[in-house]
Amino acid sequence: MHLDEFQLHQPESLPEAISLAREFAGQFDYLAGGTDLLPNYKMHLNPRPHLISLDAIPELHRFSPDQGDLGAMVRLREMEGSAGLASRYPAVAQAAREVATPLVRASGTLGGNLLVETRCFFFNQSYFWRQSLGFCLKADGDRCHVVPQKEKCYATFSGDLAPALMALDARVRLMGPEGTREIPLTDLYPRDGDGIRRTSLRAGEVLEGVTLPPPVQGLRSIYLKLRVRPSYDFPELGVAVALCQDGGRVSHLRVALGGLEMVPRRMDALTDPLVGSQLTGESLRALGEAIRSAVRPVHNTFLAPDYRRKMTAVLVRRAVRSLTEGS
Amino acid sequence: MLREDLGLTGSKRGCDLGTCGCCTVLLDGVPTLSCLTLAKLAEGREITTIEGIAPPGGLHPVQKAFVEKGATQCGFCTPGFIMTAVAFLRDHPSPTREEISRAVSGNLCRCTGYVKILDAIEAASRAMAREGASSA
Amino acid sequence: MTPAASGEAPAVPHRLIGARVPLVDASLKVTGRAEYTDDLRRPNLLVGRILKSVHPHARIRKIDVTEARKVPGVAAVLTGDRYPRTFGVLPMTHDETALAVDRVRYIGEGVVAVAAVDEETCERAFARIRVEYEPLPVYDDPKVSRNPVAVKIHERALRDTNLQKEVFQHFGDLPGAWRAAAHSVRVSARYAGVTHAFTEPHAVLAEYSPDGRLTVWSATQVPHYLHRALSEVLDLPMHRIRVIKPEVGGGFGGKSDPFPHEIACAALAMETGRPVKIVFDRDDVFYTNHGRHPTWNTVGIAADALGRFTALDVEALLDGGAWSSFGTVTTYYNGVLAMGPYQFPNFRYHGARAYTNHPPSGAMRAHGGTNIRYSVEVAVDMLAEEMGWDPTELRLRNFLPPHSTTVNEFRITSNSVRQCLLAARERSGWREKFRALPYGQGIGIACGFYISGSNSPIHFTPKFPQCTVHLKVDMDGGVTVHCGAADIGQGSKTILAQVVGEVLGIPLDRIRIAAVDSDTAPIDIGSYSSRVTFMMGNAAKRAAEDLRRQLVQAASDLTGYARESLECGGDRIYVRHRPQVGVSFLEAVHRAMEHTGALHASGSYESAPMGGTFKGARAGTAPAYSFSAYAAEVEVDVETGFVRVRKVWAGFDCGRPLNPQSVEGQIEGSIHMGLGQLLSESLNYRGPRLMNPSLLDYKIVMPQDMPEVECLLVGEDDPEGPFGAKEAGEGPLIPVLPAVGNALYDALGVRFLDLPITPDKVLRALEEKERREGRLSKPAPPAVMPVPAGGTDHAPR
Repeated sequence: MHLDEFQLHQPESLPEAISLAREFAGQFDYLAGGTDLLPNYKMHLNPRPHLISLDAIPELHRFSPDQGDLGAMVRLREMEGSAGLASRYPAVAQAAREVATPLVRASGTLGGNLLVETRCFFFNQSYFWRQSLGFCLKADGDRCHVVPQKEKCYATFSGDLAPALMALDARVRLMGPEGTREIPLTDLYPRDGDGIRRTSLRAGEVLEGVTLPPPVQGLRSIYLKLRVRPSYDFPELGVAVALCQDGGRVSHLRVALGGLEMVPRRMDALTDPLVGSQLTGESLRALGEAIRSAVRPVHNTFLAPDYRRKMTAVLVRRAVRSLTEGS
Repeated sequence: MLREDLGLTGSKRGCDLGTCGCCTVLLDGVPTLSCLTLAKLAEGREITTIEGIAPPGGLHPVQKAFVEKGATQCGFCTPGFIMTAVAFLRDHPSPTREEISRAVSGNLCRCTGYVKILDAIEAASRAMAREGASSA
Repeated sequence: MTPAASGEAPAVPHRLIGARVPLVDASLKVTGRAEYTDDLRRPNLLVGRILKSVHPHARIRKIDVTEARKVPGVAAVLTGDRYPRTFGVLPMTHDETALAVDRVRYIGEGVVAVAAVDEETCERAFARIRVEYEPLPVYDDPKVSRNPVAVKIHERALRDTNLQKEVFQHFGDLPGAWRAAAHSVRVSARYAGVTHAFTEPHAVLAEYSPDGRLTVWSATQVPHYLHRALSEVLDLPMHRIRVIKPEVGGGFGGKSDPFPHEIACAALAMETGRPVKIVFDRDDVFYTNHGRHPTWNTVGIAADALGRFTALDVEALLDGGAWSSFGTVTTYYNGVLAMGPYQFPNFRYHGARAYTNHPPSGAMRAHGGTNIRYSVEVAVDMLAEEMGWDPTELRLRNFLPPHSTTVNEFRITSNSVRQCLLAARERSGWREKFRALPYGQGIGIACGFYISGSNSPIHFTPKFPQCTVHLKVDMDGGVTVHCGAADIGQGSKTILAQVVGEVLGIPLDRIRIAAVDSDTAPIDIGSYSSRVTFMMGNAAKRAAEDLRRQLVQAASDLTGYARESLECGGDRIYVRHRPQVGVSFLEAVHRAMEHTGALHASGSYESAPMGGTFKGARAGTAPAYSFSAYAAEVEVDVETGFVRVRKVWAGFDCGRPLNPQSVEGQIEGSIHMGLGQLLSESLNYRGPRLMNPSLLDYKIVMPQDMPEVECLLVGEDDPEGPFGAKEAGEGPLIPVLPAVGNALYDALGVRFLDLPITPDKVLRALEEKERREGRLSKPAPPAVMPVPAGGTDHAPR
């Protein structure tokens, strides 16, 4: 296998990176670890002639879990090994620990995992394989083979960190040619997209880092991942839950899901009504079922979509139960 | 680059996509997939391959344990496992078997069922502890 | 090192045989110094790549390579019409070509081969190749292929169907036995295709020199068949071809056919006069496949009122993919390997293998014996339940005795299956656990057997032994062993060294195993059918004994003692009754060389004629069989359907284990591979298309999911095996699948008959059971439980 020829840029500051982005608009990808991008390039999945590596920009490597401030280029290996992160934001440390393999986590980064390419059986294949099928909407073709039509890509969002960070109300800092902004992480993943443009990033924008609010007293969080094997596999489903209880009543509850649909998703409409109530086996079961019927996975990962939906209910229940039990 | 230009063929090419671990090297001491590492981004950094861990004419304790415990069969995955294990034992001198399993879970082996690989890493950790104790 | 003087004629204990000897090449492997084909460099080397078919089934109207030839850096562009002669691993079913000729038959089949300065240039050339295809009807289902079809995938397919092979066998009176049976069960099961997934992708390097000689280095399990195929297709005499097997990074059957890319690479080297190397991408490995056949089978077992098996009725339908490969053998094996380790007086088999437009199926570890064994062992379990018997008791009642003959005339010699079962039952705590663990946990048991080397070599003309070993002694007493057996990681070089060292009484460091090189190695028919330890071991033992005779004669000349009183050991040849009297090994060597300047010896192995005279009688005959019984304990997460195998107790009879550490390695690796097929591995086809040609999506078992394994090596010496040894490379895979399958039944009360048993299938089955029965519960315990420990011999036969 080989990489098509590209020019590698190694800016040492964000302004330099952004000016390169402006110069090569539409002709580049940011490189933030490469464990997802380089395999895709080797399979000739939308390769571009310029790669702007973010590795040499010092501030992107900052890692201050105590301040809830994480640079985009922090390695997953660093995150999984951080006692500070594990104690303040356990779901995030757990999610980092569950990504791919130790070797991938040595190179893979926080930013890379948040912006990981969506995945599909019909997309993550060699050029030859896709050629034999006639290509797909997401690369080199004009139709979707999962849900036959020509408008929308149904590839699955397969990052682990996004649900964990969403459940903890993370915000992301974005820097681009038009300036800097900070948005809730949930807003990075618009649900009304066509699946091809997967995020609300504007042209040339860099995901600079993640901010997490200080955990309120009593906040607990967890990330559970469904996959066939305990390493390597992308999530068939990722469930993150953040919960705070006050005298047996829910004072704060967030559930976020990944690995199911085109974007990760927080289920506030289903969890907000539980705030102020007491969690019972029955309400928990109802929550699981409500979430299950709200999600729409398609058949483009290893396990069948109806199974993944069922597991959504099971993992949500398990996650909440494990947070309530220990308290 | 390592294999073609430098002739260091100890690191193997098994998939080119980060899915087998046969190409594992240490990049500034951290086990890393060389197939997913651009040579230019490794400039100025220290790369250790399987060719570079043993004393001249001898074997690293992890290599020795792999030999003695029967942890290598076809041998194609072996350099990758050893590089992972060397770094892991440096950071975790007395690991549990479960920790070892997790540490090598990015390296595929199709011959051994991993059993003797885990045995070897356990044995190496004990041997290194003994060595450390006797040299201290 | 002086052997202890005992005064009596001592039984000299084995020194190397039975010892936990590390692999002789391990130090090369752990240092990265072992050389695999992709590690080899030649001056002026070109890269070869193969353009693959994007169609599953199509006529090739036209291939235009004119523009591709013009790409700078391209040295040769080769199409199928240049070398159209067919080949294949079995002489009777040649249906492959080096590159597609007129027709493509699966997505991924090679169409054009290009040699160029680098991979990118090859790809640029591919982009300029125009192939006009005319699509043909696609056959992706063997159930369709077995009926009359519009287009035959190969002309040689049977009648007007796409069947490649059909087998009918009937021994005794099956319908009669079935009518008379007191109990009977029938099981139908489905098996997804699985593949070897060795870590080293296929690789080949070929060089054609001006003296008209072709040298091919290849990652092959069978250098000799490659040698033949190269000669046949390229029309070069074998003496002008040299095949060298470097280290091979795993095979498991997937490198045992001669492959089109090997021939294409050699052809490119001949065209260009330059060395050419082809190394597969990982997805190419998946398209090349030759893995275990996707299978549908049905097994019926009948028994009399006393629990004696009276009939075995087997049907199997195999998806062979586009080529024959080993398929004729596979078709036989799926029936004839169903019987042992049990005795069945009546047996009927109907097997069929269909061509489809899938990548070819072939031989994979425990070839032909794995899928059918799962169905048989599940059926035995079901029969036991129907009869109210403990399944271990039912098995004990029906084992083939040692030194017996099966109804289809297999000659059984040593057989310790009973000891295997008793050991697994005892060590696993069967009595306390069977039907007694909490819901979701279970224990299961299953047996198996496998050939220890196919008795009939694939090539029988000209007639020659199945293995020959040459020994050459250096002037300093070093012994070089030349042998054509391919070490693919299983450790055959180490076994060679142990056998030779044992016979000659010299340490391993005196022995050097020469790489397999057809210029110097005598013929061995390859590393498949679990034949190497048995056949090569016997040949090596005879070669060493030949050498020992020469050295003992020399020692006798030097010491004046009679040959019969001399013994080899401790690097010496000494008088058995007076061990202090003797000569060093080297002194004997020098004496023996005195008038020749050289010392050589040879030994060979040829199995005895055996088997019946009916059609297909040779299939499955072997000079010995391994036997096995495994117990497995599982735990199921009943909310998610995830299965965890806690522990496997592996009772295995490989005769005398020549190297217990290696045997354990084979058992542990087999369990890993078997669990993969059972729980997570499958080649997922949608129509003709393979959906998961990658090590990410083809899910082999991770270290965290490996169970604890306890190896119980309980075999007795086999009368014909070298030092009593039998195979341990493939048989160990077989029983783990049904042992776990039966344990799942014990845990959940559900029979799983569609492999792999992924979590979604487990959950679906539990939901169905709950719907059907209104609750989830364990099956009831049997009325007949095993007798207490110690009561080992209670077989009614």
